[in-house]
Amino acid sequence: MDDIKNKKLLIVDDEPEIRNMIDGFLRREGFTRIFHASNCSETLAVCKSVKPDIAILDVMLPDGDGFSLLSSLRQISDMPVLFLSARGEDEDRILGLGLGADDYIVKPFLPRELILRLMAILRRVYSPPKKERLPLFRLGERIVDLEGGIVRNGDTEYSLTAKEHALLLKLYENRNRIVTSDALCQAAWDDDYYGYENTLMVHIRRIREKIEDDPSSPEYLLTVRGLGYKLVVREG
Amino acid sequence: MISILLVIFNFMLLGILVFNGMNKGQSPGFVVQNIADGLHSSSNTYSLDSSAEALLKQNRAWAMLIDDTGRVVWNYMLPDELPKTYSLTDVSKFTRNYLMDYPVFVWEHSEGLVVIGYPKGSLAKYVYIFPTGWVSSLPLKLAYLFAGNIVLALLLSLFIGSGLIRSIRPLTQGIQNLAEDRKVYIEPKGVLANLAQSLNRASTLLQQKNDSLRKRDEARSNWIAGISHDIRTPLSMILGYASDLEENSAVPAEQRKQAAIIRQQAEKLRSLVNDLNLVSMLEYEMQPLDKKPIRLSALARQIVSEFLNNGLDERFILEIEVLDENAQVNGDERLLTRAVNNLIQNSINHNPDGCCIQLLTSFNGINNTCSFIVADNGKGISQNELPDLLELPFSSKRKHRRKNGHGLGLPMVARIAGAHQGRLFLYSDIGKGFRAEIVLPSIKHD
Repeated sequence: MDDIKNKKLLIVDDEPEIRNMIDGFLRREGFTRIFHASNCSETLAVCKSVKPDIAILDVMLPDGDGFSLLSSLRQISDMPVLFLSARGEDEDRILGLGLGADDYIVKPFLPRELILRLMAILRRVYSPPKKERLPLFRLGERIVDLEGGIVRNGDTEYSLTAKEHALLLKLYENRNRIVTSDALCQAAWDDDYYGYENTLMVHIRRIREKIEDDPSSPEYLLTVRGLGYKLVVREG
Repeated sequence: MISILLVIFNFMLLGILVFNGMNKGQSPGFVVQNIADGLHSSSNTYSLDSSAEALLKQNRAWAMLIDDTGRVVWNYMLPDELPKTYSLTDVSKFTRNYLMDYPVFVWEHSEGLVVIGYPKGSLAKYVYIFPTGWVSSLPLKLAYLFAGNIVLALLLSLFIGSGLIRSIRPLTQGIQNLAEDRKVYIEPKGVLANLAQSLNRASTLLQQKNDSLRKRDEARSNWIAGISHDIRTPLSMILGYASDLEENSAVPAEQRKQAAIIRQQAEKLRSLVNDLNLVSMLEYEMQPLDKKPIRLSALARQIVSEFLNNGLDERFILEIEVLDENAQVNGDERLLTRAVNNLIQNSINHNPDGCCIQLLTSFNGINNTCSFIVADNGKGISQNELPDLLELPFSSKRKHRRKNGHGLGLPMVARIAGAHQGRLFLYSDIGKGFRAEIVLPSIKHD
């Protein structure tokens, strides 16, 4: 984690107050190597001299727009880029992400949001690719081990089929929230709900047989009528 | 049509020409018959009715009555040069031709033969003799003539008409293009050259007007986009520092609460700026649409789930009803989600005491349209205020002052529907709940 705070950051914005504000927030988070640029030519110069690890780019700059700046940057650097735009939401987001930006934030933004997204990009790009372990969680007396693909209840073990596994993973990722039938079918069959309605019901029933004490009156995997399902997990 | 009129006109003309001269004055046959009827005999004296006499006078004719022996027993204005007795040969001669150059006509009378004579040279007398075959074939011949006339008239009108149509066709095409707002140029030639020139002028004028309108729309939209851009940078700082203060544990609780208020208001301002920008882009048709096939039912489930997941206040009940699982539109998912969200949020905002909100999706096979319907059982709004809700706030078309919210919500929904070639319909009355329906063209249904 600490080496992330050691990364070199470049803030590009023509408003010095905005740069200073972002600078301040980042320093408080523990970043120290922060560089500024106020236009395209300065940006290219800084990129050549200090080779920053990530850039926060304003879309509108006095000597060009951020999108063409990104294109020229890509010729000398592969660093991740986060766009910061003061223009309308939709038109620029599509264009920015299409050009290979890593994320896109619209002004005005909350500082916490900016830092969270920045950290997410840094972690994704620079953290050593450690093998992501799938979650293991408790449902009452039972333990669901998605990594091992099994449900343990005392001494008995039930193994999960591939589809049951995919459905449970999707439900757990959105635990305590309603997941629509459409999203579940997308996760398990990569197709929409229409036509998979009954198949989905059959699979949910099989999952319930493995994780519920009484599958006919479920306690954890609840049906939300007309919408989908919800996995209730009590944390801690 | 033209040819039928032509034929009718033709025949009327023919009739007038033929019968007009003939009927000039009364026909001699009619006159002589009248004289014969008007001549009465009583014990060897004869008297002529005054009307018959007038008739003779009018025709400047003379009359006589020849009895069975060939003697003239009565006359009227008989010229002196004419003899007073006639032999059978004389009678048969003048009956067919002239009596001493007087055109004469005869009619039988109980006492003999009535003869009337017209002034010399006033009438030509012909005796027609026709074979009966010719006479009996006359109606058929007339029919042929009639039919020929019709065909001729048809051909003529077709010829003239097609010539006219050929020269009108580019003009009608031009007018059609003009109505469809396309550029028009017609080569001015022929009899209708003036018309072509006028059309060209009208088209140029329309194009100029459209260009200036488009420019003005663009300027307006850019102006709003520019303002919202300029607001965003200072707003970033207000939002940034306020939320920083709010989370700073070194700041006293009271001040942190105040910072929270500043942050909340800045967020309100942010959503207003975003909405304003979006509505203006939609209004001037400059909003790019990221269209793809969307299943209404899936989007509805997602929207309702999102509301429930984000903790809907328990005063509200949000239900979903999918009347047609497979209705699809080609649409921008973000914008459509925005539209339905606005409608649900509207029901929540206007019914602080809570209500039941229903989101329905349906398909109409007759028009091949499908709908999102958001209906609540809340307070509703009076019918005459409904049209106002679709107008932009501060628009002169808006009759009533808006009561709460920034008033962009429903106009935005209407414009999002419009951008998808759809429409927004509102139904409500006081105490009868509020029902909004977004009708969109359906792309496929199987």
